[in-house]
Amino acid sequence: MKAKNSLGTQKLAAVIALVVLFVFFSIFGDGFLKYSTVISIFDSLYYIGFMAIGVTFVIITGGIDLSIGTVCICCALIGGTLFQKGVPMALCLIIILIIGALFGLANGLMVSVMGLPAFIATLGTMMITRGLGSIVTNTASVTFPTGDAEGAWYKSIFKLQSQNLPQSMLAGIPTGFILLVVLAIIMAIILNKTRVGRYILALGSNKEATRLSGVNVVKWETLAFVISGAFAALAGISYAAIYSTLMPGTGNGFELDAIAGVVIGGTSLSGGVGSISGTLIGVFIMAVLKTGLPFVGLQPHYQLFITGFVLIFAVFMDVLNRKKRG
Amino acid sequence: MKRKVLALILTGAMAFSLAACGGQDEPASTTTDTDNTETEDTTDDAAADDTAEEEESSASGDYSDIKIQVVAKGFQHDFWKAVKQGAQQAGEDLGLKENPADNFVGPKSETDIPEQVEQIKNAINKNPDAICLAALDTTASLDPINQAMAAGIPIVGFDSGVPDAPEGAVVANAATDNYVAGAMAADEMYKLIEDKVTDPAETVRIGVVSQEANSQSIVDRTQGFLDRMVELIGEGKVAIEGHDKFNLKADGAKVIMEVGIPANVQDAECVTVAQKILGQQDLIAVYGSNEFANKNIITANQNLNVLGADKIIAVGFDSGKLQLDAVRDGIYAGAITQNPVQIGYKAVELAVKAAAGEPVEDVDTGCLYYTAENMDSEEIAPCLYE
Repeated sequence: MKAKNSLGTQKLAAVIALVVLFVFFSIFGDGFLKYSTVISIFDSLYYIGFMAIGVTFVIITGGIDLSIGTVCICCALIGGTLFQKGVPMALCLIIILIIGALFGLANGLMVSVMGLPAFIATLGTMMITRGLGSIVTNTASVTFPTGDAEGAWYKSIFKLQSQNLPQSMLAGIPTGFILLVVLAIIMAIILNKTRVGRYILALGSNKEATRLSGVNVVKWETLAFVISGAFAALAGISYAAIYSTLMPGTGNGFELDAIAGVVIGGTSLSGGVGSISGTLIGVFIMAVLKTGLPFVGLQPHYQLFITGFVLIFAVFMDVLNRKKRG
Repeated sequence: MKRKVLALILTGAMAFSLAACGGQDEPASTTTDTDNTETEDTTDDAAADDTAEEEESSASGDYSDIKIQVVAKGFQHDFWKAVKQGAQQAGEDLGLKENPADNFVGPKSETDIPEQVEQIKNAINKNPDAICLAALDTTASLDPINQAMAAGIPIVGFDSGVPDAPEGAVVANAATDNYVAGAMAADEMYKLIEDKVTDPAETVRIGVVSQEANSQSIVDRTQGFLDRMVELIGEGKVAIEGHDKFNLKADGAKVIMEVGIPANVQDAECVTVAQKILGQQDLIAVYGSNEFANKNIITANQNLNVLGADKIIAVGFDSGKLQLDAVRDGIYAGAITQNPVQIGYKAVELAVKAAAGEPVEDVDTGCLYYTAENMDSEEIAPCLYE
């Protein structure tokens, strides 16, 4: 019960931080408060958001998944290459999701069955997927269909753009946000109301005790990684929808943005505690920060400087919370 | 004890692999950009283009027996195919019996350093009269380079050349002068906005989106653009803001150039930077200095729809599907491209001359400006890639 309270406190603090940031940028940002900027914030948070929802499950088990960023790009590159070879888009999207889940499965088995530390196992997968993306594409960039081209329909899953929209809404309707929220609600229910979630939370707080009480920890720990992998692949689809051209060799660093969002949202890196709604808020804070800082006219090196402080502060909150609980 | 050793090895391996990841970030994302820090400093002869004609006509000596080996940084990418095409053309023009295009090799990918080192060794073992080289990693290639020097085989650098090569190993370079290329973009843009920037009543703004402020080639493209634009509009009439590296103060200037650089080389962050610039009410034109910058300008424009012939003028750099489409559809006025055909041509020409004992010096292989009208022409099309 105590743990739940401290999680609630941090979530509240995160919501307040989000509102303060948004108001601050609205006042001081030159041209920040516009429909197109809001759409831009949504655009930039889909892929981080999906990755963050997925990796929340792994972090709750006390593990980490460093491979989500490169899995995200690798899956999309494979899907895009298949599309260029003539595979229909719907099938490509399904294949992307399956490949992502398989990478997650591999991570999960390495950690739960082979006993590798999650940090090392997923670091390896990060390199493998980054290399694989380059191998599959022959190191050339892959461009997904845009505009009215065949197969471009999938873009409207994330952003509905049409000539028929009024001028003020030219930037499109952020359908991806609806998807993000719906999936977040589903995953939150799974985490909090089902056996799956209870086992994952339990093995995060005390793996040995959970195992001794007869729970198949191998299965549930692996499942957390599969969820993480599948969501990373979904992130890849949203990335392709928004940014069209994907370059092999990229994706490094995305995972840190996602993990930062998860931690800011109150999920503990030591496992056992966490929430999906907190993760979403954390991701929003990162996205608003990254979108807003250029609008107040800050140069890139100052943006990095400030983002670093925000991260340290967020992790410090996590540490404080744990101390309170402990 | 065993455990400690194992831990130590693991830690070492991890630190190494992390370092390796970080180090590869840049080249992987900008596959075709030339990072010619070294050649930049020495390529000052902007007049090279003008003298090219003369050089060709003076090439009357008999070169037919000269054998040239070419080792590129790749061979599958369209960029290298265009380089090879230029090498072939030069071989034919100079009357070489053995065309250099038949001795044109490159590694499977730009990270495949060992494969390229092997290829350089093989090329030198064939004992050619000269070798054209675009090295992936100079340090890794030092052995064969020294071997070539000992054997008296002149090396001509091309594209990014052989940065930090040992003194005297490389006799000349054939590469794009990115500073001149950036200036060319300013010239082309100025033609389209001259009326708007000549003593305007209200402030007008020109946006510049750049991938980063560290890579020499990209900085040169940005600096070249800014310097020429200031020169064209008139010193004291233009202020530059947005980044310490480029900032220029000018009190009461009516023209403002705003440089936008993302904090990280990530699409999302670059789109935000582009969107901020495109959202300015007084913006009249925007320039992106490489493929990455331009594809993100185009993505940002999908939310705003402000680019076009009678709207905000956009001039790009490099190719890529999104940018080619934007030029074709009139969203972009045009874009600059390097001239890989000329890079191949000049590299072989320099190598032949060096082999014949003639004096050689660095040449700027020049750039081309492409628009919807000329992008399918015979001269331009081979230089563009999706």
